[in-house]
Amino acid sequence: MTAEQTSPVLDVRGLVKHFPTGKRDQVVHAVNGVNFSIRPGETLGMVGESGSGKSTIGRTVLRLTEPTAGKIAFQGQEIAEMPMAACRPLRADMQMVFQDPWSALNPRMKVRDLIAEPLLLHTKMTRGERRDRTDELAGRVHLSTDFLTRYPSDLSGGQLQRVCIARAIATNPKLIILDEPTSSLDISVRAGILELLAEIKQQTEAAVLFISHDLGTVRLISDRIVVLYLGKIVEYADADAVFEDAAHPYTQSLMSAHLPANPKAEIRRHVLEGEVPSPIDMPSGCAFHTRCPVAIEDCRRTEPQLEAAGNNTHQAACLRILDGKNRID
Amino acid sequence: MNLLQVRDLETHFISRDIDNRVRIAHALNGITFDVEEGEILGIVGETGAGKSLTAQSVVGLLRPPARIVGGQVRFEGRDLLTMSEDDLNAIRGNDIAMVVQNPRTSLDPLSRIGDQLIRIRRAHSESSEAEARSRAVEMMTAVGIPDPELRLSAWPHELSGGMAQRVLIAMALMNEPKLLIADEPTTGLDVTVQAQILELLRDLVTRMNMGAIIITHDLGVVANFCDRMAVMFAGGIVETGTVGDVFENPAHPYTSNLVDATPERLKIGRKAVFGGAPPDLYNLPDGCHHRDRCRFAREECSTPPPLREVGLKHVARCHFAGELPETAQ
Amino acid sequence: MPSETTSMALREVTAEPEFSLWQRIIGLTRRSPTAAVGLGIILFFGMLALMAQYLMPHEPELVYAERVLHPPSSEHLFGTDGNGMDIFSRVIYGARFGFGIAIPAVVLALVIGIPVGLWTGYRGGMVDEALMRFFDGLRVFPSIILALAVVAATGQSLINVVIVLGVLDSPVFARVVRSEVLALRSSVFVESAIAAGNPTWRILFIHLLPNAIQGAMAQTAVRAAWAVRISATLAFLGIGIQAPTPEWGAMIRQGAEFMISGQWWVALFPGVALILLVLGLNMFGDGMQEILNPRSRAEK
Repeated sequence: MTAEQTSPVLDVRGLVKHFPTGKRDQVVHAVNGVNFSIRPGETLGMVGESGSGKSTIGRTVLRLTEPTAGKIAFQGQEIAEMPMAACRPLRADMQMVFQDPWSALNPRMKVRDLIAEPLLLHTKMTRGERRDRTDELAGRVHLSTDFLTRYPSDLSGGQLQRVCIARAIATNPKLIILDEPTSSLDISVRAGILELLAEIKQQTEAAVLFISHDLGTVRLISDRIVVLYLGKIVEYADADAVFEDAAHPYTQSLMSAHLPANPKAEIRRHVLEGEVPSPIDMPSGCAFHTRCPVAIEDCRRTEPQLEAAGNNTHQAACLRILDGKNRID
Repeated sequence: MNLLQVRDLETHFISRDIDNRVRIAHALNGITFDVEEGEILGIVGETGAGKSLTAQSVVGLLRPPARIVGGQVRFEGRDLLTMSEDDLNAIRGNDIAMVVQNPRTSLDPLSRIGDQLIRIRRAHSESSEAEARSRAVEMMTAVGIPDPELRLSAWPHELSGGMAQRVLIAMALMNEPKLLIADEPTTGLDVTVQAQILELLRDLVTRMNMGAIIITHDLGVVANFCDRMAVMFAGGIVETGTVGDVFENPAHPYTSNLVDATPERLKIGRKAVFGGAPPDLYNLPDGCHHRDRCRFAREECSTPPPLREVGLKHVARCHFAGELPETAQ
Repeated sequence: MPSETTSMALREVTAEPEFSLWQRIIGLTRRSPTAAVGLGIILFFGMLALMAQYLMPHEPELVYAERVLHPPSSEHLFGTDGNGMDIFSRVIYGARFGFGIAIPAVVLALVIGIPVGLWTGYRGGMVDEALMRFFDGLRVFPSIILALAVVAATGQSLINVVIVLGVLDSPVFARVVRSEVLALRSSVFVESAIAAGNPTWRILFIHLLPNAIQGAMAQTAVRAAWAVRISATLAFLGIGIQAPTPEWGAMIRQGAEFMISGQWWVALFPGVALILLVLGLNMFGDGMQEILNPRSRAEK
């Protein structure tokens, strides 16, 4: 890809995750050969609808579920097949913020202990040092220190998500995975959390993986974006390029289905036929051919690979890019 | 004439606390709005603002401890609140139909789709089994369900989320309603499916000259699919107007914050001054309920704000509606 | 049809202020007199056990050789037994055995059952299967016969009775905790704890235990009632505690012989005490389950 000097914090190659369905010879193809990497200070947005495998990728990268195949290099170290016990010290450097702050925190622990937990686990700080650091972290996420002695049930959704973020940045991790961090929050609260995430992004050199189905927020936060469809990357480009110059027909229709909060927005809506096929019975060839308005016979048989589309950092996996018929308007 | 006229609707939650004292939550306090034929009214608001409760109060589907304590709901001139339960049942599911969130839990899991559609038709009219069946096929075609004849014998669990939502809309349309109330009809659905469903709803409203209410927390849905909108906050409507007017010139500080907090308008780094807990419905402050969150609050705000007209059919409940300084850019 | 949205709306607006457990207990006993009466009975017997030496008019094992089988009188409120011992004092002292066996037995059952339930629930798999089937086996076997056999084999001491009751009862707690853990282990906060780098022991004891223990705690009073009952039964059968120890079961056994000859008081008073304590524990236990089980609280 680009000739950046810095080596990536996270480099994922050929990641595959299949889940058993309970029936023999049948699996859910959640993730099907995904490659991507994130450099320090970079935020990669990961967009897709349900069943696209985006959350599974996040959880697999952190070894919260076991990958079926593929390589996950974290700071140059291969972690995909590392024993779980050996992973644990690495967790100081990779943290995650979950979608639903109401259920992501142990309801029986005080906020202070929740924020301090990563410090307790990964540093040799004394009690007093942890206390100071917790106060500092509360300040960084703009949470009043009054809340530190409370239990999660006393806090609102936005406050809880601030606690989760404080917890995730406590040990200055090199990789932060944000799995739909604002999706379950109300509009007014969401704005504040996005603001905070942008702030933290500026303050740290961490690599951030921002997973979301909400195209508007992804664009706000991300430098680059990958678009997933049925567990495969269909497009990989700079954030603005994905919105303004989408190459893959799926990305184009996704963008046209996005509803901006602006009644004057001119949208040429390409409403897709049908729904996402079952990840149990994956379509042959290009996974999108069953719904693609520009699909040709070959799309049924040949699986397209990511190739340059437009400038050299913009990649898309579509056979029709070759003959320039990938636009669906 | 207006199809639906809601005037000063008040709903309380009346419960008893642990010491058996009566506690009253002022869940809706003075809701006023109209719906005309052939238009879609969007009701937006955040969690707990009372959007769903408004719909349930209008169609008389409240359950204790919720109780309507004041106001009028006129449908084609008839007051629904003083009507007998039998008369109301004749209107509900017939002239007024409702589509709710969570399509799966709203379908009877033990009967086939077709039987449910036919049942609802025959509950309200004298039509024969065959007539009802052909109507069911017609409606399933109208909502874009492929192979409607075949799908009539499908079970609810065989349907995807988007398909189930279509079936619910078909069910709502079985008796040619004059008013359709859709409560978060696309929450939880993928964006591409959401676009399909909303396009369909909009198309049906125009074609059948129905009135419709879409209740949502998503300003994008309102901006793209509604004609007029009502913004709810703490159990009251703070602003009503055409979608264009409200987005362009929000007259109430809450609306203005809401619009500014959407990803499209949100400017990272500008520090959105928004958020804060909504007022306690058990203990509403005197005067303007938005006072504690409002950055323009002045002394006058401790008296109840009037409904001020700021444009043609554009009203806001604020002492200073239309006179607010431009929001900081 | 609208039930879900209604209840959602309800939850939104009726965010109740938090009450401490103690306030909840007070509040709920006000609504549930059963639990209050149960608690009263338990406290009454607890007081008897603690203050026995001040309350007893006579030594419980002092023999008044000249007053064998005297009916209730002002000197001996409950009469005397076949050895000429004061039944009133013995009934009071017997409360110590009731609690002295039930409390350690339940504690032992918790100490064994909770870790087993945590581990099997969290790990699942073969060990879990095997252990649960073994527990099922234990449960279908009549516990009294099992207890009898084990106590008879291991030697008839108080300690052995406690150990046998504790071990036999631990599957109840293991099961309750296991089912809670099964529901919790895939919850986000557990995943978040793993992601933060918690070792397994911390996941089990710091994160899962405090969230999984309520059900087990709600069972303790009912299980204590069971322990009181079974230990008295063992004593009645002459296993474990022997007469003339002032234990209610043993006293009933002795009194049973005199029932036919008309000296009803010997068995009646310890019997009533036993029934009352078991009843009290059960009543309180039901109340506790109501308090600690959010589902039954919501229905109130």
